[in-house]
Amino acid sequence: MPGRLHPILTFTFAALILLFTGGPVLLSLYGSLVPDRVLLSPDRSILTEGPNFESYRYVFTGQLPDSYLQESANRAMISDAARQVPGALVNSSVNALAAMILNLILGAPAAFVFARYLFPGKKLSFLYLILSPLVPAVALVTPIYMMLEWLGLVGTQIGIILVHTARALPFTVLILSVFFRKIPTEVFEAAELDHCSRFQAFWRIALPLALPSVGATGLFAFMLSYSEYMFAMILSGDAGTRPVSVVMAALARNTDVSWSLLNTGIFIAIVPTLVLVVLVWRFVVEGLIGSAVKG
Amino acid sequence: MWTSNRFPALWLLPALLPVILMTVYPIGHALWTSLHEVMILFPGEPFVGLKNYQRVVASNYFGDALRNSLVFTLIAAPSVVILGTLIALFLRRRFFGCEVVRSVVLLPWVLPGAISAVLWVWVFHPSFGILNGILRDLGLIDTSVPWLTNPQTALLAVAAAHVWTQIPFAVILLMAALSAINAETLEAAAIDCRNPAKRFRYIVFPEIKAMIVLLLVYNALTAFTSYDLVYAMTGGGPGTATTLLSFQIWRESFSMYDFGAGSAVAFIVVVISAVLIAAITKTLPSDLFGSS
Repeated sequence: MPGRLHPILTFTFAALILLFTGGPVLLSLYGSLVPDRVLLSPDRSILTEGPNFESYRYVFTGQLPDSYLQESANRAMISDAARQVPGALVNSSVNALAAMILNLILGAPAAFVFARYLFPGKKLSFLYLILSPLVPAVALVTPIYMMLEWLGLVGTQIGIILVHTARALPFTVLILSVFFRKIPTEVFEAAELDHCSRFQAFWRIALPLALPSVGATGLFAFMLSYSEYMFAMILSGDAGTRPVSVVMAALARNTDVSWSLLNTGIFIAIVPTLVLVVLVWRFVVEGLIGSAVKG
Repeated sequence: MWTSNRFPALWLLPALLPVILMTVYPIGHALWTSLHEVMILFPGEPFVGLKNYQRVVASNYFGDALRNSLVFTLIAAPSVVILGTLIALFLRRRFFGCEVVRSVVLLPWVLPGAISAVLWVWVFHPSFGILNGILRDLGLIDTSVPWLTNPQTALLAVAAAHVWTQIPFAVILLMAALSAINAETLEAAAIDCRNPAKRFRYIVFPEIKAMIVLLLVYNALTAFTSYDLVYAMTGGGPGTATTLLSFQIWRESFSMYDFGAGSAVAFIVVVISAVLIAAITKTLPSDLFGSS
């Protein structure tokens, strides 16, 4: 275990980390709870006006906020895109979960043989895997679009999942092979003495021992797909297949949308994902800190 | 490390095939484009050799964009890894509320890029930005600093936002790597060496070095090839203060419809990122790519 720190020092570090990582998001929570006129005025705040849930009500029920219905209100401040957020969350989750599962299923065996075996063609295939992500995605948008159009996958979620999986795979293999290499060789030598096949060594030994790290890698693949924008935008079709990153970008780039509504969209998009990610992460952390791999 | 005489196709092809499918033809197509004059407005796509490359390198934005991209990468990639390491080391401790901090650290990750940009524009906003508010309250500045419209601070500001978006991934992988260290090694080190800085340098660092190199490579690559956050925050301005080379791929292709030039910029980016990665792995030798 690491040594002890002075409590005040611990508190300061914790506060700084919280402020840096959580601060901007807190701002958006605040922004979603007050109408724009309160947000932009220096002498009114949530303390004098109280929280206001009208933007949330609009996103879920479609009932317009009162400020919008007032006379001479700016009609452009409401955007229908905000109402697509809940559905887009479902699409994004499906894409990201599929990309994560595919990444682990396809990537883990490759990472295992890369970490533990010498074989002909190893250098070449490994080099290909680490060099292929060098080409910037923008340059590949056109040919990938043409390819998927030929396959009839444009406008479907399968196309997006396919691209996201392929884009995360090189990194999944790299990260997992670092973890697999950390498992002490003696464990595998013992397994070989017991006539373990290669698959058993992978499935029964490497995978369970590295399970928390596999979880962390899965999170990476999940989030890469969840936040990817460019391919998601060109490959998604109508509102029914649009993921969160595309809907949120449309909302964020529309300068006519009120701050309050934009922040509401942000917050609705964050919460379910955060819950999901934190759940997986807690499982990972517990596995990591509770039972470190013993040699 | 065991030796096998056959290529383990059954184990590797499931990972290699999707990557090959999504790279061989698209990269080949992009390379072909960079050697031809491909403009939507003009019919025919004649072979022009390296003319697209010459045109791009000679263009008036190239010097600025290249310098900005390099500075941006040199600030962002090490910052992510250093901050990530510090946070990961700290979060391994148990303290009151550690679970909350461990979860909040992941927040920047669950936000799509367009949203992170909005949040950070808000933080840096000259009139109602929180950063100026705090600095004013502390008495450090008299007048608001226009962070994103001042050429001196704009690149730093967008780099800070970029670092913010990349921190969670670094923390997660480094915590995982830290936990994979043999507990007995750490206990022995705690007895033999009282100085925590030395203990980190000689015991912990060598154990997590492969992961640190991997993160440096990944972050150098991300910083050098992505532009969406920067573009959403500043649009490349003020002037050319935050114009990045990777953004020019998009601008040449989809704004000027000069796909040949866009692809040429892309391959210049490829060459430079390959050099960056080679430099990182040479200065920090580790068993990341090795076959030890």
